[in-house]
Amino acid sequence: MKESDLTGKVYDIQGFSVQDGPGIRTTVFLKGCPLRCPWCHSPESQSFAAQLSWMAMRCIGVEKCGKCLTACTKGAITSGEITKSIGIGEAIKLIHVNRLLCDDCGDCARACHPGGLSMCGADYQVDDLLKQLCRDIPFYEQSGGGVTVSGGEALSQPEFTLKLLQGLKAQGVHTALDTTGFSDYKNIDAVLPYVDLFLYDLKHMDSEQHKKAIGVPNERILENAQKIAAAGGKLQIRIPVIPSFNDSEKNIKSTGKFCKSLGKAVTLVQILPYHNMGVAKYLRICDDPKVLEAEPPSEEKIQNLKKILECFALKVTVH
Amino acid sequence: MFTLKPITTRVLKMRKNYRETMPKVCTARLKIVTDFYQENPNLTGILKRALVFKELAEKMPVLISANEIIVGSMASTYRGSALFPENDIVWMKADNDAGQLFDRELDPYIIDDEDWAYISSVIPYWSKNSLSAMTDAYIPEGYFAAVGNQVTVYGDKGICAAPVGHFCTNYDKAIRVGFGSVREEAKGKMAALEGKMEADTIKKYNFYRSVVIVCDGMITLSKRYGAEAARQAEACSDPRRKAELEKMAESLNWIMANPARNFQDAVQIMFLYQIGMCLHNNMHAPTFGRVDQYLGSFYEADLAAGRTTPKEAQEIYDLFSLKVAEMNKIWSSGTTLAVSGYTVGQLMTLGGVDKNNQDATNAVTYMMLQTAARLELHDPPLSLRIHKNTPELLWEAALETTKICGGVPTFENDELIIPALMKNNRMNLESARNYCLIGCVEPAGCGDEWPACGGSGGEAYWNMPMAIVHAINDGHNPMPDFFGNVNENRTGAHTGYLYEMETFDEVLDAVSVQYQYFLEWQMSMVNMFEVVAAEHMAQPLVSCMMDGCMESGKDVMKGGAKNNSCGVPGVGIGNAVDSLAVMKHMIYDKKICTAREFYDAIMSNWEDREDLRQYILNEVPHYGNDADYADEWATWLLNLFADIVTNFTNVRGCKFAPGLYPVATNVLWGLMTPATPDGRRGGDPLADGISPVQQLDKNGPTAILKSVSRIPQERFSNGTLLNMKFHPSALSNESGRDKLEALMKAYFNMGGMEMQLNIVSVNTLRKAQQHPEDYQNLVVRVAGFSAYFVELFKNCQDDLIRRTELAL
Repeated sequence: MKESDLTGKVYDIQGFSVQDGPGIRTTVFLKGCPLRCPWCHSPESQSFAAQLSWMAMRCIGVEKCGKCLTACTKGAITSGEITKSIGIGEAIKLIHVNRLLCDDCGDCARACHPGGLSMCGADYQVDDLLKQLCRDIPFYEQSGGGVTVSGGEALSQPEFTLKLLQGLKAQGVHTALDTTGFSDYKNIDAVLPYVDLFLYDLKHMDSEQHKKAIGVPNERILENAQKIAAAGGKLQIRIPVIPSFNDSEKNIKSTGKFCKSLGKAVTLVQILPYHNMGVAKYLRICDDPKVLEAEPPSEEKIQNLKKILECFALKVTVH
Repeated sequence: MFTLKPITTRVLKMRKNYRETMPKVCTARLKIVTDFYQENPNLTGILKRALVFKELAEKMPVLISANEIIVGSMASTYRGSALFPENDIVWMKADNDAGQLFDRELDPYIIDDEDWAYISSVIPYWSKNSLSAMTDAYIPEGYFAAVGNQVTVYGDKGICAAPVGHFCTNYDKAIRVGFGSVREEAKGKMAALEGKMEADTIKKYNFYRSVVIVCDGMITLSKRYGAEAARQAEACSDPRRKAELEKMAESLNWIMANPARNFQDAVQIMFLYQIGMCLHNNMHAPTFGRVDQYLGSFYEADLAAGRTTPKEAQEIYDLFSLKVAEMNKIWSSGTTLAVSGYTVGQLMTLGGVDKNNQDATNAVTYMMLQTAARLELHDPPLSLRIHKNTPELLWEAALETTKICGGVPTFENDELIIPALMKNNRMNLESARNYCLIGCVEPAGCGDEWPACGGSGGEAYWNMPMAIVHAINDGHNPMPDFFGNVNENRTGAHTGYLYEMETFDEVLDAVSVQYQYFLEWQMSMVNMFEVVAAEHMAQPLVSCMMDGCMESGKDVMKGGAKNNSCGVPGVGIGNAVDSLAVMKHMIYDKKICTAREFYDAIMSNWEDREDLRQYILNEVPHYGNDADYADEWATWLLNLFADIVTNFTNVRGCKFAPGLYPVATNVLWGLMTPATPDGRRGGDPLADGISPVQQLDKNGPTAILKSVSRIPQERFSNGTLLNMKFHPSALSNESGRDKLEALMKAYFNMGGMEMQLNIVSVNTLRKAQQHPEDYQNLVVRVAGFSAYFVELFKNCQDDLIRRTELAL
């Protein structure tokens, strides 16, 4: 395969990203993740394949449109219930997507202009993606920002991520890699020279708990963090605070201790309190989402955890 | 760090009074002017206007309310509205006949029965003697064919109801030189001309004579307030207030005849001059200009001499701002649709560079932001001039203020505006460096330019997509009127129908022809208004201080100011640009449909062609998304607009200046604009300012800024307006603020002229919950996550509303 033919599966590109690294950034979200966190707020990021996404609010109803009904050759789309559309504010007859019959071929999405049906995940060639990301260079330069490569798990598309990061560095763009850390170290080692900052998730310090909730143990994640630190990489540690999973003082203490052990490599620790805003997104790609639904942690609780982390002489922010 | 200072009890009382007083129509001015006009039919021209001011200065009630230090009133009651019959008062009868005068929804006013009886009794006289009536008589014959086009702003009658304004006279001269001194100068000029009135020097003589009269008027007005302050002082039992009133009386007796000696004098001169001008004429957006530059040195000298404290001066400034906010004016119900909120638009400018290109920030700059932020005042609006050496602290103060008061201040780019103002010989470098903002976003000379937008006939708004509708419909307006009738006359130029155009170039040619036709009509009408108004509505009170007029012996209306210009603002830019890109894509490039199909779909208001409309909205590249396919038409179309406007000469000899801002006319005009080729339905609002079409900016703020930078903004010296909305999460902490600052700086580096920031409020989020269809693209961002607000479940929406409340 020629290098220029190398494609990656991307499910979103978000400009003016101000929460994922320094300055004004563009975040490119790569599809596919080896982990299955029950609290995941971007469920569309998990599968490596393109998926049909159904967003009812964009549908204008089968009476005015209905193109998808004929476009689908699998019988997966039928007329559905009559409801008041939140998108156009009037009663319309929606469609119904039968997920058992749908094979994510995308025929209906191509026929759907309002965007109720769309394919989540598109193939991008590195050069095309680079061109698009570089359009905002004036904003990166003015703000000390750049591009954040996120996922899913970007390191699960290692070649594409490497080429992308190399291309960005060749243009002088600051790069951040938002990662779960769950990857062969050789992939990390390859991208290390092209990553200015790792946004690095630490979910639980107890490997058994980690495995129980997410499906994989944490040893490799912790080791990789240590290796990055040893190799001179910069880390922004991100701790998603998930109720009754990792929010115990004990776990946060050992997380703090681990961060401290990484020394100067850790520039910042970010607390990301659990929120349930992702739930709506599950319904776009499946009928029966398996998702954690819990009360978001209280402000008090978060402030307490912040204080604990600060005891390890870490710079801590809450998002 | 910028922190908010405490507010004094008296300021809080004034603010409460301001918020809670229901404005009332006052007939004091109406009576004085009506009597004067009816008793003096022999008086004409500038002398009549000078003498009517003298009459007002001598007879208007002088109102000093409790708690006031800075005084001046437009009416006999607090927050009252004067009436301006010499411009137009017939609209009151029309509104009343339509049931839209009493108990109206937007900007309601109390009108007492006996006052209404008096108003009604004088309307017949004014229906033949107002400027509207005089102007109507001069409408060129050829324009009647074009009436009803909805591209040009003017109809065929009642045009002068919301007239002249949008200028900044030389307040600095009023403060530092004074009316007494100008009066002496005018006296001297008269003496030199007595008996030697050769050629047109007689016109100069009449001008100077009028200047003497209006200067006397200002001195009289001030002394009458001084006498009232002294009277109240004598009756006052509270020793503190008594001393204060005595000090006010002393100041009011001194100023106007003499220059200001201190901060309080200077503020009082500025305000009473404003009251004088607004009493004299039906001023629309009389602009204060660079207030921090006028006041800074007085404040610093007072402080150094121990004559005042920062707290005292801030209180005076707060009270002054509330006095400005208090001024309002009843508009016709139609006009309130475009400018509601009891606003007169008395914009103030702060920051920027001085004449040596050095940073001009001073202590009063911060004082002005303190007032806006602490009192949450949207009126007077503020414009901050930004340049490469704007202090970090000022950036911080401005962004913190905008967090509390959305859109206040606006941010203006000195580096682009100063050279833009020097184009077409508009003004020299020194004047350009001293520019201020007038109206809402119009750069103009501060004290040395008469830039009256639209002359006497209201602002010269121009409907950009509507001219494109004419271009594809052989010059016809297809929109049925209120009664359902379609105008059979051709209101535009004869350019053929879209389905006859075989190439996209033919479409562009038709657009060029209509743009030329309608822009030239618009500017011709402005010239006609100016000619009529210059005869009947001279401005000696403005002219006496405006640089150039005393030298030239000419009124501002006759081109006497040192600099002149005249703005023509385009409205609906996003729709016009998208219309071109959409027609190119649908008909000529991708051939999605035929020109006939497309034409029929537009003319049927997309009836039964929702499929086509959805294709347009979702599959064609749109302006505002950093997509070259659409954005290149912004460059093309706005160059066309600027070429035509800057080639046309105003009656005062200057070239017209193009602008791109709508105030709120984009909503009002949308109602009267049929379906447009960009997929917009008839009646829907037009796009705001230079922003993309509502809901069609899908790639976030950086993409919007890249697109709007494709407009040749340096050619639009009459101003551009870009309103950016952010969810508070973007401003929630210091780094959020830095990022907004960087965003704006990057935009300014790319050739942006102006930006204002609106932070999405709790109120907006609640509205989005109720009317999700209007907020489909409202994106909320939390770390690593973004979502459409309206798609979230109600409990999540509620949670975000709660967070938003906490963040501000």
